[in-house]
Amino acid sequence: MSLYMLLLYDDPKQWAKISPDEMQKAIEKYRAWRTKPFTKDSNRLGDDAGRVIRSANGKARIVDGPYSETKEVLGGYYTIEAPNYDEAVKLALGHPHLEYGGTIEVRQVWGT
Amino acid sequence: MASDAAPIVEHLFRQQAGRLTARLTRVLGPSYITLAEDAVQEAMIRALRTWPFDGVPVNAAGWLYTVAHRIAIDAVRRDRSFGDKTDAIVAEITASGTVSATGETDVDDRLRDDELRMIFMCCHPEIARDASVALSLKTVGGFSIREIARAFLADEAAIAQRIVRAKRQIRERRLTLDLPTGRVLGERLDAVLDVLYFMFNEGYAAHQGEELIRRDLCMEAIRLGRLIADTTLATPKAHALVALMALLAARFPARVDEAGDLVLLDDQNRALWDEGLIALGFRHFDRSMNGDEVSAFHAQAAIAATQARALTPEMLDWALILEFYDQLAAIDPSPVVALNRAVAVAKARGAADGLAAVERLGRDPKLRHYHLLMAVRGQLLAELGRTAEAARSYEAALECEGVSEPERRFLRRRCEAVTTRGE
Repeated sequence: MSLYMLLLYDDPKQWAKISPDEMQKAIEKYRAWRTKPFTKDSNRLGDDAGRVIRSANGKARIVDGPYSETKEVLGGYYTIEAPNYDEAVKLALGHPHLEYGGTIEVRQVWGT
Repeated sequence: MASDAAPIVEHLFRQQAGRLTARLTRVLGPSYITLAEDAVQEAMIRALRTWPFDGVPVNAAGWLYTVAHRIAIDAVRRDRSFGDKTDAIVAEITASGTVSATGETDVDDRLRDDELRMIFMCCHPEIARDASVALSLKTVGGFSIREIARAFLADEAAIAQRIVRAKRQIRERRLTLDLPTGRVLGERLDAVLDVLYFMFNEGYAAHQGEELIRRDLCMEAIRLGRLIADTTLATPKAHALVALMALLAARFPARVDEAGDLVLLDDQNRALWDEGLIALGFRHFDRSMNGDEVSAFHAQAAIAATQARALTPEMLDWALILEFYDQLAAIDPSPVVALNRAVAVAKARGAADGLAAVERLGRDPKLRHYHLLMAVRGQLLAELGRTAEAARSYEAALECEGVSEPERRFLRRRCEAVTTRGE
């Protein structure tokens, strides 16, 4: 078994089109993922823009996060357990995030 | 504190959306409905982005309440149109958002009161009815434009347009959330009841559109009706409307078969009728009897109640139903009522009398292309053994405009049945 990280990106604005009832249903679907047997860890990231530290010519430069420039932001992540990439992707395909237009990046945790 | 186990109360978001929008609109003033709506939506989006990871707060409604108020405060501070009133409004929202732990019931009463005022404003007679319905569903009912469009089989842009129009009318005519008194109250209440009846019918009518969302629409009309019926504002007419809606909505589970085809009243499995709604209907039906007024809602509720009392179609007292239709036709001389009355005539006195009533109606050129009239005519002709004419009548019904897909299938089946029997 290896560990995989599912990085969830979404455009917060996309939710504006969804009705309160649909939002509630979405929450229930997402919630179910916290307690899936293969879910080892899950966390959300703050809704603020965050900071990005870039270095150029040996000098670190701190800028505000990519919030306003790019549409999609990294909103949260899960660590899941799966035998291989194919299985990890298959599990991720069942995540409700995709129903609501989000993006999921699947990455193996090296050495697991 | 967060809970992982229990699911969120059904329709909590939809209900809270309406209540919170009403609450914030009350504080901000009716010209800021959109700001209120946006704040509530933003609070819900925050819930959506955090609860899946943090868990659902034990008091989910309270969380939404507090966060929506906080977002509204930020929005007011950013919005320059409040000018030097900004601080005062912010103070008011802050006060509204500060809920003492002991004051839970007060908050509930206050929210109900806000909601009630909001319905009265959305259903103001100065707003066109279709716009009133759309606005009520959106702001009080917590439906999205897409859901309303799906229920009405309308274009999303058209629904959005109606809502914009309604909001503009509220602004331009300076409509307020004040509850009227005296005679004006009666008129305003009647306008509200009309809108709710229309909302219910849109959901109940056998047109196309998604069954589930239309059922939600009917339940929302009932919920709003009860909201009024349970206050001192209630009139016997309000009770009659709730009775009528509840008794009809009780049939939802039996109205469509597994294939999605329409099941007529006579063929419905009454065991499937919703007992809770029937009981609710009868409770309000009893209360509608206080007073002398006999409204169209009373007559329709009486018909639905008579139908609900019959355990089998054979036990149905058609003579009594015909009496109620006579009353209804006297109050509301519309062709649809007249056609339903003709069906009652056929049931009470025989197909020949019924057909005579239908043919009288058919002389009205406007009704010659009304598919339900042709369908009833076909049915009665078939019962009289005039199968060839019956088939022609069904065919004519199929050629009319505005026939929904379930109705079309139903008419085709009838037409085939009568043709096979005739050969």
